[in-house]
Amino acid sequence: MFYSPGCAACEDRQSELRAAAQDAVKGLEWRDVNVLDNLDAAVELGVITLPAIVINGEVVFTSLPSRTQLCKALAERSGAGK
Amino acid sequence: MITIGKLAGLTSVSNDTLRYYEAEGLIRPAGKSPAGYRLYDPDSARRIHFIKHAQQCGFTLAEIRDLLDVRSREKACCGDVRTRAIEKKLQIESKIRAMKAMSKALDQLISECANEKRPVEECTIIAALEQANGSKRV
Repeated sequence: MFYSPGCAACEDRQSELRAAAQDAVKGLEWRDVNVLDNLDAAVELGVITLPAIVINGEVVFTSLPSRTQLCKALAERSGAGK
Repeated sequence: MITIGKLAGLTSVSNDTLRYYEAEGLIRPAGKSPAGYRLYDPDSARRIHFIKHAQQCGFTLAEIRDLLDVRSREKACCGDVRTRAIEKKLQIESKIRAMKAMSKALDQLISECANEKRPVEECTIIAALEQANGSKRV
């Protein structure tokens, strides 16, 4: 998840979404990425709004999703949703 | 209270631009003179300087309207503005990257067209552009 430091909404929901994601997909590697420290990586991936959630190199959410939306997106990409 | 002409003079912005800003919801006259002319409060000049600086940083008028809203929102904090600035930087960096790729593609086309005396029908740049478009030569 790409975030900007000081984003209150991100801080509030980061741990909740991380826990939901790790529950949904076994062995999932979650990274909280400070966009200011990783600007090149963000641009390379096509992140232009914050916060953004990238799954397997694809920008999937350009704002914070609900737990359900995130789990559904993860399931679709991990094969568990099939 | 100042007239539109006076405001234009203070901010080096034309009357038409000020009317456009008004139509876009960026500024609002504080009232009208008895003759029906728009009148602005002195704070309008500060607002217009804000708009001009934000435009120089690449913000669109819609984004500037949003920034002005944030500025006047009681619960807003610096982080809200900072996130918008970071997003703008990401967009600019993304455009720079795309333009560099375009420049590189042009470098290649230019280097492949080494003989500038060839007739235009044999121009490798035109041929490459036609191929890139997937069209056939006519």
